[in-house]
Amino acid sequence: MRALRSLMLALALAVAGLPALAQEPISNLPRNQTLIVENPEGTIKNAGWFNIWAVNAGGQSTGLHQLAMDTFWYIDPQRGIDGVWMNSLASEKPIYNADFTEMTVKLRPGIFWSDGVEFTSADVVFTTELHMKTNGMRWSAPFQINVASVSAPDRNTVVFKLKKPNSRFHALFTVRWNAVWMMPKHVFEKVADPLKFDFNKPVSLGAYVLHSYDPNGKWFIWQMRDDWQRTTLGRFGKPGPKYVAYVDPGPPDKRVIAQMNHELDIIHDTSAEGMFTLAKQSKTSRGWFKGFPYAHPDPTLPSVIFNDQNELFKDRRVRWALALLIDIKAVSLASYRGAATISAIAIPPTGTHTESYHAAMESWLKDFELDTGKRKIKPYNPAVGKEIAEMLRPSMGDQIPKDPKEIAKSFGMGWWKPDPQAATELLQAAGFTKRGTDWYTPDGKVFTVKIVVEGEARPVMTRAGSMIAQQWRQFGIDAKTDVAQGTMNDRRASGDFDTIISWSVETWGGHPDLSFFLDSWHSQFVSPPGKSQTPRNWQRWASPALDKIIEQIRTVGFDDPKSLELGREYVKLMVQEMPIIPLMAYNVFTVMDETYWKGYPSAEADPYTDPVPNWGNSRAMMVKLKPTK
Amino acid sequence: MNAYAIYGGKRLLQFALVVFIGINLAFVITHSTPIDPVEQTVAAATSFGSTSPDAVEMMRQSLRELYGLGGTPWSQYVVFWKRIVVGDFGPSLSAFPTPVSVLINRALPWTIGLLTVSTLLAWILGNLLGGLAGYYRDSKFLKITGIVAMGVHPIPYYIVAFVLLVVFGYLWPVLPITGGSQMNLQWGWNTTFILSVLRHSILPVISLVLVGIGGWFMGMRSLVSNIVTEDYVTYAELAGVSRQRILYAYVMRNALVPQVTGLAMSLGSIFNGAIITEQVFGYPGIGTLLISAVHTGDYSLVIGIAAVSIIAVSVCVLVIDLLYPLLDPRVKVS
Repeated sequence: MRALRSLMLALALAVAGLPALAQEPISNLPRNQTLIVENPEGTIKNAGWFNIWAVNAGGQSTGLHQLAMDTFWYIDPQRGIDGVWMNSLASEKPIYNADFTEMTVKLRPGIFWSDGVEFTSADVVFTTELHMKTNGMRWSAPFQINVASVSAPDRNTVVFKLKKPNSRFHALFTVRWNAVWMMPKHVFEKVADPLKFDFNKPVSLGAYVLHSYDPNGKWFIWQMRDDWQRTTLGRFGKPGPKYVAYVDPGPPDKRVIAQMNHELDIIHDTSAEGMFTLAKQSKTSRGWFKGFPYAHPDPTLPSVIFNDQNELFKDRRVRWALALLIDIKAVSLASYRGAATISAIAIPPTGTHTESYHAAMESWLKDFELDTGKRKIKPYNPAVGKEIAEMLRPSMGDQIPKDPKEIAKSFGMGWWKPDPQAATELLQAAGFTKRGTDWYTPDGKVFTVKIVVEGEARPVMTRAGSMIAQQWRQFGIDAKTDVAQGTMNDRRASGDFDTIISWSVETWGGHPDLSFFLDSWHSQFVSPPGKSQTPRNWQRWASPALDKIIEQIRTVGFDDPKSLELGREYVKLMVQEMPIIPLMAYNVFTVMDETYWKGYPSAEADPYTDPVPNWGNSRAMMVKLKPTK
Repeated sequence: MNAYAIYGGKRLLQFALVVFIGINLAFVITHSTPIDPVEQTVAAATSFGSTSPDAVEMMRQSLRELYGLGGTPWSQYVVFWKRIVVGDFGPSLSAFPTPVSVLINRALPWTIGLLTVSTLLAWILGNLLGGLAGYYRDSKFLKITGIVAMGVHPIPYYIVAFVLLVVFGYLWPVLPITGGSQMNLQWGWNTTFILSVLRHSILPVISLVLVGIGGWFMGMRSLVSNIVTEDYVTYAELAGVSRQRILYAYVMRNALVPQVTGLAMSLGSIFNGAIITEQVFGYPGIGTLLISAVHTGDYSLVIGIAAVSIIAVSVCVLVIDLLYPLLDPRVKVS
């Protein structure tokens, strides 16, 4: 019993001593000069690897590509700090010859690597030629396919001669999330095998250098360069944070706790519930929108993607019937708890797209008629966004905007009216029959549809899929979800699905050009059933009409107004054919804590960039952030 | 001695067979998974940036060559065993070209440290309290302790861990809830770093001890409850031996034999890692590495971790088997 008494005493003393163990999250760095940011890559298993040109060998959004890398141009998914298009290492836009077989780049002078060596055209030529002669580097393939030769007429000019016309070759060097990052020739030319070189400690071309990192891959700390003026961010002023820490804070609930304790300034993404908790309990936390729905709409478009090579979905009437059985309001509530930004058209409702496409095509959508086989209907309901706002107003009160423009920006505009009668007519026209409460295919089998969802790794999309399956079941279709978990990428690429909740539309966000994803939709790239499909035409849809649009886009310049016109033609074709059912933007609950820093991007005050901190573009935040203390 | 050598030889053969079968199973299972490491790498490399289908197809081919995934399953199997016999698990496919052994060696000390401490603590506390509860059956305090230990034991581990997170991370934020040490501390054998590591391990250790203690407690209490009715205990009491001496020298010492076996097995399992603990507390270790390897289809790494685990558990069983005849006369006779 004496042992027991000693044990109890020891326990009591230990509990009493716990407060003495409390301390700052970072050792030896002033908190008011340190921005702490979530790295959504999580724990980096190979933390000491900084050679970003080797595929998947180490982390990318550890601050490495945001703060230490640079390339010719950036396109911002929002307004940008220097406009949507930012000339970075290039001093002007790309200069193509008439037939797009040559691209000339003029470089910005006076930019230096962090070890004091000047960045010149020799670095660009080296980067290009090393990728051309080395297989297996991150950008080897696009260089090998496109580039015939590269030359540097002077220190600030580079000329790429292409193997075939390519009016979008500059996209390879234009950051949307990342792009080809320039390599320091003076470092890599001494390396025997660039695929086996860890590049530790990295020489930086950005405004920060590596300060320290956790060998376990939980955190990476970057320090502002003394000569930050000699980087491409220098012209926008001195960056606010002296130190930036990219950390793995753990699952969503821990991110919320960390921000409530002011130990995590930017949460990259959390659950809808986590966002609502922070909005209610943390006065210093804010999202992209000050109020509901808080989240930033990413330029990606979660959709119901049909496997268009599946016999059941080859008929557009079947695809349309399934679209008309979806009640998007219920899907919005189930997936994002109402905080979704819906889209009826195959363009993400974000950035400049809402003006260029959604608003511009509203009248066409209102007039659009669908032939059910028995009658013509106008399926578009322009008021769905407003209806969602009104549905949420009783519970969310003043958080819900009243201005129709704000509502459209927050919740989206219109969507398709649920119309079971029209769906019945479309299915019957396609040869389907209803017996009792169940639907049967033209060859007499039960109409079964599986919706592949990712599972707990992407709960929002999984909930959307479950709700859609429920709605189809209520109509008499044998619909169920099929949870893919870690096999999602493999199943999507191999076409092992009837339908899948994912996205095959992904755009620049800040620029109306659609080639970013659309070029890959050309039928020349559609794989036969059973073979692996290359990104991004996961629906494996082949359409001569679409091919014609893509081929026309290839012949016009990036900024040519004709490109936007062709983009709208694409939207019309997608509505008519419905090869995917667009649902909503991928809304990201990025939460920013204003305890230590102010000047974050926001929808209302200053939408200068997408707030997600894992994009290369997020470097813009560094020059806008200012300390509060 | 001759009989012991034959016994030991048989056990060694059994050990080799178990390891061989285990590693083969790991090879077959990982190579049967539908997750293709090349597809995962392609997805990671193309998820966000601009991609041309031609380039992606070329990247796929290059990666297949780079990762050594060409050839028939049989030729892959032969290459695999050629590597294994020299202790080389090859390069990690999700952190190429870093060797699997480098990644495992980096993670393993954290797992061993955390689980050794928590396993020993749970074992010592559980057996001590269980032994006392079995002997002093009228003690109210020990009865309450028993109720608490048995009450906590069936609660799913993640709930206990989450409660600790909320209590000590949010309501009374005095302990770190993530990582193995404070940020920006250089690793080394210095007081600051060691204290920081200890501090970060408090919550993971408490969570494991809280859940683990119940099993040892109940086992020891029932063992002691049986032993106290044995004749030799009654005889010792009648002979006037002090209760404390009876408890420690007569009762608990005898009851400890099966508990020591259990401890040896638990220590062998340490190499399996503590996946949920590491996930919940963001603690570095082999469990986090394993989960990441499974998600990315990195079967070199999965096999490496599985092999370490199989060998560790098998070695522990072998050591127990070899020691038993020396310690327990009944086994020696049989």
